Amino acid sequence: MSETPTSADSFSGRDAFKRRGFRILGIGLQDVIRYFFGGNASLAIVLIILICFFLGREGIMFFPAHHEGLGSYRQAGQEFVDYMGEEIDAHTKFYSAANIAYFAEVNESSAIEDAQIATARAVLANVETITRKSWNLLERKIEEEVGLAKKVAGLAEGSPEIPEVQQMLETRRSEIEKLRVTLRAEVEAALESPDAWSTGGSDRGVGLTNIEKIREAVLFEAFPKAKEEHPFLLELKAASKTKKADTAARLIAFKTTLTEIQSAVKPLRTLHGELRKHATENRAVINSFKSAPQRRAALLAGAENVDDPAEKAKLQAEADEVVITEPDLVAMNAPLYAAVSKYAEVSLPLKAEMERLLQALPSTVSTESARENLDRSRSAYGSFKGVQKANRDRIPSWRHDLPVSWIKSFSAFLFGKQWITNSSWHDFYGLLPLLTGSLMISVIALIVAVPFSIAAAIYVNQLAPRREQEIVKPAIEFIGAIPSVVLGFFGILVLGEMLREVSQVEWLSWVPGFPMAERLTILNAGLLLAFMAVPTIFTLTEDALENVPSAFAENSFAMGASRLQTVFRVVLPTAASGLIAAVLLGFGRIIGETMVVLLVAGNKIKIPDFSEGFGVVTQPTHTMTGIIAQELGEVDGGSLHWRALFIVGMVLFVIALLVNYAAQQALKRFQKV
Amino acid sequence: MKTSMSEQEKQEEVLTPETKTANQPVTRENTHDLVIDVDNVSFGYVPGKDVLRDITMNINRGEVTAFIGPSGCGKSTLLRCFNRMNDLIPTAGISKGEIRILGTDIHAPEVDVIELRKHVGMVFQKYNPFPKSIYENVAFGLRIQGINGKQALDQAVEESLRYAGLWEEVKDRLNASGLGLSGGQQQRLCIARAIAVRPKIVLMDEPCSALDPISTAIIEELITKLRSEFTIVIVTHNMQQAARVSDRTAFFYLGNLIEMDRTTTMFSNPSKKQTEDYISGRFG
Repeated sequence: MSETPTSADSFSGRDAFKRRGFRILGIGLQDVIRYFFGGNASLAIVLIILICFFLGREGIMFFPAHHEGLGSYRQAGQEFVDYMGEEIDAHTKFYSAANIAYFAEVNESSAIEDAQIATARAVLANVETITRKSWNLLERKIEEEVGLAKKVAGLAEGSPEIPEVQQMLETRRSEIEKLRVTLRAEVEAALESPDAWSTGGSDRGVGLTNIEKIREAVLFEAFPKAKEEHPFLLELKAASKTKKADTAARLIAFKTTLTEIQSAVKPLRTLHGELRKHATENRAVINSFKSAPQRRAALLAGAENVDDPAEKAKLQAEADEVVITEPDLVAMNAPLYAAVSKYAEVSLPLKAEMERLLQALPSTVSTESARENLDRSRSAYGSFKGVQKANRDRIPSWRHDLPVSWIKSFSAFLFGKQWITNSSWHDFYGLLPLLTGSLMISVIALIVAVPFSIAAAIYVNQLAPRREQEIVKPAIEFIGAIPSVVLGFFGILVLGEMLREVSQVEWLSWVPGFPMAERLTILNAGLLLAFMAVPTIFTLTEDALENVPSAFAENSFAMGASRLQTVFRVVLPTAASGLIAAVLLGFGRIIGETMVVLLVAGNKIKIPDFSEGFGVVTQPTHTMTGIIAQELGEVDGGSLHWRALFIVGMVLFVIALLVNYAAQQALKRFQKV
Repeated sequence: MKTSMSEQEKQEEVLTPETKTANQPVTRENTHDLVIDVDNVSFGYVPGKDVLRDITMNINRGEVTAFIGPSGCGKSTLLRCFNRMNDLIPTAGISKGEIRILGTDIHAPEVDVIELRKHVGMVFQKYNPFPKSIYENVAFGLRIQGINGKQALDQAVEESLRYAGLWEEVKDRLNASGLGLSGGQQQRLCIARAIAVRPKIVLMDEPCSALDPISTAIIEELITKLRSEFTIVIVTHNMQQAARVSDRTAFFYLGNLIEMDRTTTMFSNPSKKQTEDYISGRFG
């Protein structure tokens, strides 16, 4: 090999090994193809970076703006006023629960009579529905009769028309008589049918005690002649009224206490009202001052762009008029500081009075509902006392010029319990109501979807015959293709209605939260989202099971394991991390879903009331995704509200990121197996 | 091992009360009991297309029987008939004849295939321990039989691992994953797993074909050792291996059993021309 190749060599490595094909700037076709595919693959990464960047840019500016907003809230004294507002709200809660207890007690005394009246009304309505045809006909004929009678009365004496009309009137009257007979028979028949007696409500037990009388009353009133009511019902009404009056008389002390409770807070209410007005004005001044430079700049810019000299001068003058002098915060807040001593004057008697009145509330009541509400009012009193105690400290020590700490500003967003926008008072951007809504819906959806999808996947992958596999798998996967707006529609019209009807079935009343008052609830949204998550979880679980090497199953069978033992002891444990990833990605699917929750969750921005236990799921709620979809179109770009929606979007983004990361970690473990 | 022997005998009695006497006359070699009795069996994966035809053979207790033959000759298929692994393929089935194990027709309606497989263990070509710990791998067969007592499991696991010659190597890391072992160790773990339930018969489907020569030697040694306690049927492509480990050898060709005889006889003096050609490497 040390010899140098001679030119006589027919085979030259230099020619044979040369690169072929076109090359531009050293880049060949192979490279171009490679870059093309590489570019496509990296597009996703570029997009994610862009999304992060823009979300971050718009969202992160929320915090300074929010911080400043909180600063204004304090400077204007609104914070101070809201301290008192909290006290009044806590008081109202206490009062209203006690009030409900009172009325529950009073209404309970005439429950039997009221239930019977309600039953009679319900049966009458049912009977009217059943006999609607004859009923309508009869009413029409009666109307005609009245009309004809009027006509006769209006005609001049001896008019030639009289006999003719008279004749018609006679015909009508006989028709009406016949119809009455028919209707009576129909009503009697209708009264026999059980449909007529379905009251659909819970008063069945008590309401149906005096069934013969109710029948009589219904028959009496169903026979449309008189406007008056059957004596039985009148009697009931009178009895109900008397009983209520008697109870009210017996409970006169309770009622007095209630009135006193309400009037005890009046001085505080008046004080709060005055201060509130004042703080609102303060806020307007501060807002005006803060936006002054911008307004001025806008006017000047306008002046520059206008050609007409008169218009220009006018705008210039307007710009000069904009006040940029700093408002005198000390003077503005002086009335608030003055109110500190007034608050002390009001608050101490209120405290003493309320303690006395709490003792004055009756300790024993006869009805369950009244007892519950009294308990509720007592616990509300506890929180009222807490607010009072806090106020005794924070009201005197409040300063309008203390800077708002950044920690407070962040926690006001992350842990804020209120999301109030477009308010004339102050906008609160608290994430908690939205986050709890989203999480609760997701948890319900997962609780429902996970067992269903995993069981379905196990069945399809491990147990089902091939023919069934071929039907079930595409069917479940098809669910994923249903547009979510269609599902939302279904949720409103079908599922919501169905859930409510089911919840009103009497023997299900032990279920917490039943009977449901709302159609659009956390439960409804959760069930629909569960349905939407099933294809995701199912497909991924099925994949995970499919990826378990068949040799594992074969080995297990050869060891004498049954099919179920093989599934549960070998296949499932092997696929476990794949299953976890499936559930996590299902969660990601659920928490990001927008249309269904927007349509079905009820969109009430409030932290659900957890005191009901599991019944909490029958309340409406709002979600992070829903609020963005609902409000983003209506807010001004760049405003605090707008940025708040972006930051909610960022929170969602971060949740999705974490979930995906966790899922990938789980999958990585799975692939190691 | 004494206790397990007696246990084995007990189980056998439950399974086949009348076997030995009934089938005694059929036995070719009276020094051994008949364990598997294949009687004129044809088998197909698809109805009408038999891949095994008219196989008749006996496999004796305490012997190592090797199945040899070129690829696709049906030796693995027959092996998988013994524990009815072919049941997993929906259309597959025996079209003719009867396989009796310990005297019982394994396709009889009263035979529970799960019980059958507990007595007929199997080791596959590709070793694959479950993705569980070494301990749980060996204990698997016992656990699915509902044996969960710690002491019983500990004892069975140690015994089986010792038997498989793996105990010394893994005793300090029984809770480590079975997948962390080397290939040869994993195959021995699979053997330990198969024998942990004390089957009567151990079927081995090319147990060494995925292993290096040293691991192969260890496994072959292990097979020789296991012979004292289990009846072993081994499918192999390696004729030297068959010659080394087996007592008797069956040669298959194109779905037919060409010849079956003592291994020594077979390799030194085959009675059929085809066998001689195959053994001497002229085809296959």
